[in-house]
Formats: sequence, C-alpha cells, structure tokens
Amino acid sequence: MPLTRTPTKTTSRPAAHAPAGDTLLRADHVQLGYWTPRGFNLAVGDASFEVAPREKVIVIGPSGCGKSTLLKAIAGFITPTGGTISVSGRTSLEPGPDRAVVFQEFDQLFPWRTVLDNVAYPLRVNGRSRRDALARAQEYVELAGLAHAADRYPHQLSGGMKQRVAIARALALEPAILLMDEPFGSLDAITRQRLQAELNRIVDQTHVTLLFVTHSIEEALVLGDRVVVLGNSPSNVIEIVDVRDLGGPETVEYGQMRGHLRDLLAVDKPIADDEEEEVLDGDGS
Amino acid sequence: MATAASSIPVARPRAVGWKRLPVWVRRAIIFAALIAIWQAYVSFRDVNPLLFASPWDTATTFWDGLRDGTLTKPTKTTLLLLMEGIGIGILVAAVLTAFATLTDVGEDLLTLLTSILNPLPGVAVLPLAMLWFGINDKAILFVIANATIWPIAINISTGFKTANPTLVSVGRNIGLSRVRQITDVLAPAALPYAISGLKTAWAFAWRTIIAAELVFGVAGSEGGLGNYINNARLYFLTPQVFAGLVAIAILGVVFETVFGVLERRTIVRWGMKTS
Repeated sequence: MPLTRTPTKTTSRPAAHAPAGDTLLRADHVQLGYWTPRGFNLAVGDASFEVAPREKVIVIGPSGCGKSTLLKAIAGFITPTGGTISVSGRTSLEPGPDRAVVFQEFDQLFPWRTVLDNVAYPLRVNGRSRRDALARAQEYVELAGLAHAADRYPHQLSGGMKQRVAIARALALEPAILLMDEPFGSLDAITRQRLQAELNRIVDQTHVTLLFVTHSIEEALVLGDRVVVLGNSPSNVIEIVDVRDLGGPETVEYGQMRGHLRDLLAVDKPIADDEEEEVLDGDGS
Repeated sequence: MATAASSIPVARPRAVGWKRLPVWVRRAIIFAALIAIWQAYVSFRDVNPLLFASPWDTATTFWDGLRDGTLTKPTKTTLLLLMEGIGIGILVAAVLTAFATLTDVGEDLLTLLTSILNPLPGVAVLPLAMLWFGINDKAILFVIANATIWPIAINISTGFKTANPTLVSVGRNIGLSRVRQITDVLAPAALPYAISGLKTAWAFAWRTIIAAELVFGVAGSEGGLGNYINNARLYFLTPQVFAGLVAIAILGVVFETVFGVLERRTIVRWGMKTS
C-alpha cells in the first residue's frame, strides 16, 4: 500500500489493486437494501473496498448513508442483496466471534454479569476452560484500564467505561477483524477523545485489524490508516484516502485532509463527477 | 454509589420528630399501639368472647397450635398444596411460553387464552373443578394451577419480547447457539418480568387456596389453613379463627420478604430494577 500524504482517488474497482494474499476483508460491489411496507429501499448502492491484515480502516459517511448497515452485513447480521463480502476467504457469513462487534449502545453488556464475567463469558462459550477464560479476561480488562472495576456490574459504570468493557470483550475473542459501529457516538467530547487515544494504544498493542464506522471526520483522522468515504444514500464509495502519515491536528496536512473530507461529505454539494449512477430512480423516500 | 463522600458538605434538611426515627421503630410503635387498642377494646368493652378474641388469647392459642401441631399441620398441608399447584402452573406456563416464543400460532393462542382466563378470579373455576375431580386435593391443585399459569406466562412472554435487541445481537455475535441464546440471554433479560409474574401468581394462588379450603370444609384428605379456620368457626373456637388469620398474615409477610430478598440479590443488584 503506497503511503501518500495527498488524497489518493481510487478508481471504480479498488479491489483489483492489492494481491489477494494481502487482503483480510474484501467488499466487492456490495449492494444493501431492505424491505419496507412501501417497497424495497436501497441503502448502499455499490461499495467496494478492502482491508489488509493489521490495517485500521474507517468507514465514514453522512448519517443515513448505510455505513452501519454495511458493518452489520460484514458482521453477518444481514445478507447483501448484491455483490460479495469475503472475510479470510469465506463469503457465506454468519455472525461469529471472528468478527467481534463493538456496538454504539451502552447497554451492550450483560447487566447480570460483572465486568470480568462479561469479558470471560464469550470465551467460555467458545470453548475455553473456566480458569483459562478468567485469566485471559483479566488480561484484557487490565489492557482496557479497568482492573479496578473488574468486579462491578455494568450499571455501576459510566458510559465510557462500558464501552471500554465492550472493547475488551471483543478483543479477548482475538477476532480476525474488530468491527466497531460508532462506539463513541454517545459519549461526551472529552471522554470521546480519551477513548480514541486509548483505542489507538490498544490496537497498536494487540495488532488487531480494525474496521471502524463513524460520521466524525476528526475520529477518522485520529484512528485510521485509510478512510473509505461513502456518499449519500443509496451510497457508493466516493473515495478512499490514505491518512496514516498525517501529522497531528496542528499540521498543514491534517488541516488539508480535514477540509478535503469535509468537502466530500458536504450534503448539499454535488457528488464527485466520477460517480456514475448517483441517482437511482424511485427508491428514495 | 460506594464512592467516597464528596468534599462539599451537602446540607440535608434535618428530619424532625416522628420522621427522625428509623422505619422499623416507627412501624413497631404503630404495631404495638394497634395491639394495645385491640386489647383495650376487649378488656373494657365487655365484648362477647364467642365473637371476638383478645390479642392475648389469640397469641396463646397460636403458640399452643404451634406446639401441639393443631396449627402447624394444616399450615403444612396448605403450603405443600400451594407449592405443588404453583409448580404445575410454572411448568405449564413454561411450555406455553416456549410455544408462544417459537411459533406465531402459539403467540396468538397465548394472548387469547390469557386475555380470557387471566381476569377470571381463581375460585370461580372451583365448582367446575369439583365436578371434574370431586372434592379432593386435585380440584384445589387445578384451581391453583389455573390461577398461576396466566400471570406467569404473560409476564415471561412479555419479558422475552421486550429483551434488549442489542444484547440479542451480541449473543449472536459471540456465537451462541439458539438454545443458549434463550437460556443465557433471553431468560436473564426477562427475569424482572418473570419475578413480577411469580409475585402476582403467588398472590393469586394464596388467596385462591384459602378461599377454596374455606369452601371445601372438612372434606379432602387433610384440612389446610382455610379448613382450620372454618372448623374453628363451626365450634365457636374464636381464638383459633383469629390464630388462623394471624398465620395467614405472617406467611404473606414471609413470602413478600422472600421475594424482596430474591429481587435484591438479582435484578436490583444488576441495576435491572430500582429498589
């Protein structure tokens, strides 16, 4: 993957670029829609991108563009209406711990289990012995900076702590790819920044591959190696940009990139001209 | 919760007088006062002892009943019958709920049956039960089971339906089988509803069994508490009538306490219900 500072505009088939061995996740012309009482509604028109092992890829787009739907499809909760998603070479995807998900909702922890038990339980489910699971859970609870709260129940935790537990729980499963669906979306700005830094540290320590959905440009720039930009629904991939070598928020490059992403995401702006089929007849509201 | 007190002193309005006493002391005082009034009424108003027993007579009769078994035996009979009836009720409710959770027909069936049978007072089916089973324990069991099935079934079913969808998604994501999804996610998630259903069922069953025993009179294998009271009335053993009522009230309090402890150890502790 070339490390460029300037935005790299990808052609219509980014999947063709990298050799197959270098790809952990490949979305190939994925189309996603759902049935409403009034007919078929297309959420994602055509999305192609790929994620290499150990890469941190951010999917960003305006609200309602179908980015969460895309993540749910990768997690196996819904089946694409067109195209293919392959993870580690497999294309028929049922939900499974190899694609552990961290959700946006704070209530994703089991209220009847302690912090430690919330992390250990999925390990038990996946065949580890009790002792093994607890030891491992302890390790990941510590990694998430929650050793002092291991015996607490979720309702005794703040929102930020709950999300850390959810991250620890997902990572303890050692997923092939960690899927995160706006996990910091409901947090206040300060907690959000702190958790972004924490996540960066944890991801660097565990070398996990990350696919992270957000609508925040800053979050994308802080966390990502590459950013997949989706347009308005029914969305296509407008552009895939490399952001791994940007400096901090004070640098010129960062500012330029932020401006560029803002332009791309501006709702009232016409979509980039290499987009074909930007209007799909009749199925919008 | 258990965090250290904040450094800023919070001025709390000082309770004065009655409110300053702990709850249990306040209750104990009121309780003692009521007993005193009761005793005074019997002592100074020259009431007919065949119609009204003093607290002292009630207490001694109660105590004697515990010692010679005249009160403990019917209590045991009633409780055993109650447990058996509730047990049957829970089993049937579980089957119905499972059916309702797994199939659409089952769901409609449960909704329909519940809306018809739940409002029916438990004892109302007693004449029918007597026709079907005769005057025996089976009839009472039938009545209790009927009184418990519906509140339990409708509550658990609601608990399953309102289970947090995010948790269900998490369950699928970590690879839970369908069975474990029910036992490990849906069941605990529905626990607040299950407990509340059980509480209602117990209250229904308790009222129903006492009423049924009162109607049955002496018949049946061994008389229960309702029977004990009815017998005492027949022979004008008024202190025994009172002692029977006291036993029923005490058991009611005991069961409420048990449910309270159960809730505090589970759903209150887990923040699924505020105490």
